[in-house]
Amino acid sequence: MASLSQVLLGPVAALGRAARDALAAVGRVARFAGQGIAAALTPPWYPRQILSQFLSVGFYSLPVVGLTAWFTGAALALNIYSGGDRFNASTVMPQIVALGITRELGPVLAALMLAGRVASAMASEIGAMRATEQVDAMVTLSTDPRRYLIAPRLIAATISLPLLTLITDIIGIAGGMQVSHYLIDLAPGIYVANTVDFITAWDVESGLIKAGVFGFIIGLMGCFHGDHAKGGARGVGRATTSAMVSAAVLILASDYLLTSVFARP
Amino acid sequence: MRGNWGETILGLAVLAFAGLFLAYALGVTGVGKQGATYELTARFGEAGGIQPGAKVTVSGVKVGDVREVTIDPKTYLAVMRLTLDDKVKLPSDSTAKITSDGLLGGAHIAIAPGGAEDDLKPGGEISNTQGAVDLFGLIGQVMRPKSDAPAEKPAAPAASAPASAAPKGTADLPEM
Repeated sequence: MASLSQVLLGPVAALGRAARDALAAVGRVARFAGQGIAAALTPPWYPRQILSQFLSVGFYSLPVVGLTAWFTGAALALNIYSGGDRFNASTVMPQIVALGITRELGPVLAALMLAGRVASAMASEIGAMRATEQVDAMVTLSTDPRRYLIAPRLIAATISLPLLTLITDIIGIAGGMQVSHYLIDLAPGIYVANTVDFITAWDVESGLIKAGVFGFIIGLMGCFHGDHAKGGARGVGRATTSAMVSAAVLILASDYLLTSVFARP
Repeated sequence: MRGNWGETILGLAVLAFAGLFLAYALGVTGVGKQGATYELTARFGEAGGIQPGAKVTVSGVKVGDVREVTIDPKTYLAVMRLTLDDKVKLPSDSTAKITSDGLLGGAHIAIAPGGAEDDLKPGGEISNTQGAVDLFGLIGQVMRPKSDAPAEKPAAPAASAPASAAPKGTADLPEM
């Protein structure tokens, strides 16, 4: 009797366990996020830590983000020119490139590059400190690791990504202009004038708001997975991967949510 | 901070490039150079697609933009406040006309300078105006006559002509 009910209810119980674990994970992340925000918004702050995070998250990401933006803008321009030609959309190519870059591709691609570069680095850094008990040593020295490790990273990621996105927007449009100049023979001045006449402040602003949310997600995922790394070097490796993957998935999901809020007329 | 000069220099190069391109873009479109301007008003019977921010051109060159579009509740005319470059003085009998770049392109105001001795004063009004042409109304006017209205006109001569021409026609036939 017991075995039969076990056979029948086993899969159901497994499903329930999985759901409970998922809910528990959501709860852990939410609590971690709340504590992180509280630590970031209230003194004491560690200015040297914040500055060094700004450098590593924001400034040193510039080359990779710039390259991504340039090639994306160039490819987008070329695709819209050749594909949009079917319904004469090639004449509004600069405007479509500007819309696509500022509203969607700029923030999302900058965030994904940053997730790969920064979220994983944060996870491995904090994870290694956990594994070697440096975080515990910090607590012993009465330094709150949330203030010293987590808060600077959250602050730096949330503020850096909108700034990086601004650079992405500019360089992406420059990439589109370069393609249209050399391959399509459209004068750079006309391309730029069309773009500047067309885009509105809200196109750029909505992208920057998204970027702020994405930046917070990147910092949060990097710190959370690093802080919850278990089991030595292997655990750190796993934390690194899951920080990047979960950051990327959350970025794309929240991108859709934010866009559906912004796109309402 | 970490002594990696290569990355620092690359980062600075990216920033410099973005800054230069932004400066170039603003220079090309003249967003940055907001020189001295003066205002004029103009009343139009049909505003068409003109919205605040639309271009004002003389001979196809941008000399200013539309600041505000309102309706005059007494005359039902569209009143536009234009901001023009201080260097461009317009004769008092200049004509303002609403045109568009292409078939469905962005509407703008083209000003044809007149020949009067005195210039329009700042705050003055361009009295000679020509509102937007309702393109689809025009197409409708051209197309509709084919079905009913001209059916009366060409049909009437056609109906009357054969009446008078028919005897001739029949008279001509036997001759051939």
